Amino acid sequence: MADVTSHDRLLDEITGPTPGQMLRKRVFGHQGLLIGLAVVVLLTLVAIFAPLLAPHDPYAQSLMTRMEPPVFMGGTWEHPLGTDHLGRDYLSRLIYGARVSLLIGAVAALISGLIGTAMGVAAGYFGGKVDAVVTFLINVRLAMPVVLVALAVVAILGGSLEVVIVVLGLLLWDRFAVVMRASTMQVRRREYVAAAQVIGASTPRILLSEIMPNIANNLIVVVTLEMAHAILLEAALSFLGLGVQPPTPSWGLMVSEGKNMMLFEPWLVLIPGAVLFVLVLAINLMGDGLRDVTAPENRS
Amino acid sequence: MKMTVLKSTIAGMALVAATGAAWADKANDTLRVAFTKELENVDSYFNSSREGVVLQRAIWDGLIYRDPVTNEYHGNLATDWEWIDDTTIEFKLREGVKFHDGSDFTADDVVYTVNFVADEASGVKTQRNVNWMKSAEKIDDYTVRINLKAKFPAAIEFLSGPVSIYPSDYYAEAGPEGMGLKPVGTGPYKAVDVTPGQHFVLEKYDDYHDSPKGQPSIEHVDIRTIPDVNTQMAELFSGTLDLIWQVPADQAEKLAQMDQFTVSNESTMRVGYLAMDASGRSGETPFTDVRVRRAVNHAINRQELVDALLQGQSQVISTPCFPSQFGCDSDAAVSYDYDPEKAKELLAEAGYPDGFTTDFYAYRDRAYAEAIASYLNAVGIDTNFKMLQYSALRELNMKGETPISFQTWGSYSVNDASAMISQFFKHGSLDDARDDQTLEYLNIADSATDPEVRKENYSKAIERITEQAFWAPMFSYNTNYVSTKEVEYTPTADEVLRFTTMSWN
Repeated sequence: MADVTSHDRLLDEITGPTPGQMLRKRVFGHQGLLIGLAVVVLLTLVAIFAPLLAPHDPYAQSLMTRMEPPVFMGGTWEHPLGTDHLGRDYLSRLIYGARVSLLIGAVAALISGLIGTAMGVAAGYFGGKVDAVVTFLINVRLAMPVVLVALAVVAILGGSLEVVIVVLGLLLWDRFAVVMRASTMQVRRREYVAAAQVIGASTPRILLSEIMPNIANNLIVVVTLEMAHAILLEAALSFLGLGVQPPTPSWGLMVSEGKNMMLFEPWLVLIPGAVLFVLVLAINLMGDGLRDVTAPENRS
Repeated sequence: MKMTVLKSTIAGMALVAATGAAWADKANDTLRVAFTKELENVDSYFNSSREGVVLQRAIWDGLIYRDPVTNEYHGNLATDWEWIDDTTIEFKLREGVKFHDGSDFTADDVVYTVNFVADEASGVKTQRNVNWMKSAEKIDDYTVRINLKAKFPAAIEFLSGPVSIYPSDYYAEAGPEGMGLKPVGTGPYKAVDVTPGQHFVLEKYDDYHDSPKGQPSIEHVDIRTIPDVNTQMAELFSGTLDLIWQVPADQAEKLAQMDQFTVSNESTMRVGYLAMDASGRSGETPFTDVRVRRAVNHAINRQELVDALLQGQSQVISTPCFPSQFGCDSDAAVSYDYDPEKAKELLAEAGYPDGFTTDFYAYRDRAYAEAIASYLNAVGIDTNFKMLQYSALRELNMKGETPISFQTWGSYSVNDASAMISQFFKHGSLDDARDDQTLEYLNIADSATDPEVRKENYSKAIERITEQAFWAPMFSYNTNYVSTKEVEYTPTADEVLRFTTMSWN
């Protein structure tokens, strides 16, 4: 037995693990990433299969059975998480609320990602005047408080799912631009970029096949951060009554609607608050984990 | 060591002294009350909120007083009054009444106040309260005449409500601004400290005249503005408040289960209704079809709304006014029972077998609005839910841009149907029905002096409005008053806190 082990170790030392093996080892050795990933995947599945999973219609109102407590506080299995102030099933609303949160998080991150990445890569690659303009725009954007601007715009346009997604998408591109600009500046001085330029590759080709693959790991991290940011902002806007409008189930809206009864029925606020917390935490864990795994040399 | 003990003792004593005022209670004869809203101006002619009415009734008096229980009129600053003709009332004034600043109350004060507020240029906030008066003239020191612009049968009701008498010399000098900061009146309580944003302190007026309001018993009233209901309740628990009001039904129910609090519930004149754009001011809208409007009326389970959400003394309302108001005859109204199937049939008849989508506006009570929207959704009327601030919604209303909206109206506690029906159905900017037939009935009812003629024509108007389903009247509101067991208070049906009738147990 001992011989075999020492032999394997020797063999490993000679050949070394393949990059794929190393990646797998880092992924499975990273608890935070695994937990985050598991929660996000789970909630995504819940959101996708909401109509199959929800025990009741999330819009079905029943004023005679209002604010029934969840099962762990003396309620019945008919409504495992109780009912809200209009007698709607809390679990079903929570499940459908996952759709709203994830949809807003994903689409807002996508929109802002496209804007921010385009600006950042352009600034980093071309430098000079382009860089000056982009840097100015980033500064302008950073000088505006996101929540305040979002509040003002939503107040003027009226709150709805589409408006919230677009507003958040148009506001959250700053971090993409900053990170992508810096990463591109590092990468464009590399030899392979110079080589591609020498053999006459077109600028779009250099950007897409030489630069982008090498800055994608940073992009993924920012995507997860901004997704969590967008989900929280949606909840905040809905809490203030300016986000998604009733009767659409949104976790922020559920917290807001439960707020009045906080003193007597705290679970009305606790349940959606806890789920929101878990989702945002999971996305952040996943983002941190991805950064650790894809670029271990950057880990401080 | 000794030094430290001494220091901490002094610090402790200072702390007690500093917080002493805030902790005043029955022992200090100070009632601590919370308001939810901040007042723009304490001068009662220059604010339009319920809290302003409460202070108005405490600090000032009107010529007449309406008993909130029996609804009978008694003389307050006037002892007697008489209609000289259709547009003139003569008042005999009470002698020996003094304002809080020591000046005597005479005919000059009435003349100055009436002439000031009736002048549109003075900018009284709610013009409807005063714009029916033309002027006042002095006959002698204790006799005065008020001239009306036109016949106005509700004059006595208004004189017993929003029209209070100010001291002429002081008001001429201080104006609304000064009156707001240092109010002076003849009322049962005088304002000793007005700190906007912080609190109002009232003190019992010892020389209060023999008024039908009764004599005040509690020495001081300390009113603080606390916008959040949860905070108000927390303060009530910790003993820094004695009385809160306008408590939502769900919380009041929980508080009622606790031994240390008294929860009383009273109806208010506020009526909740859906206004529909029957005249098509907002463009092409299904609500111009009477069948659609009737469908909306059939779609809403009013009884369930009252039983489950509003609770308390609320009642189902089928009239476009509050039933206690003069002329508001419930029997005249066509009522629509809850029948979603019939609503769907009516919609199909009107050409909407699959329903339609509309913007749905509301400005208060989001839970009620959501529940109502949900009833509409159930019969196929999909709603884009839009919650706006009151002023924003009112502006949209005036421009005629709301196809359907959840509205409420409290009639300023004026116990006359004209305060509600005539406010909304006389082709004003808020009138979405614009119905000539209704206008005709109301014109007669508003100007007739014979009560029977008025009654008859309000009934006709009510029948017309409900038959055409211009609105979907739904329910009346109620208010919950929660106090510690030490406070003795019986609320009245007009949503006015009366400190004069409060006492310690």
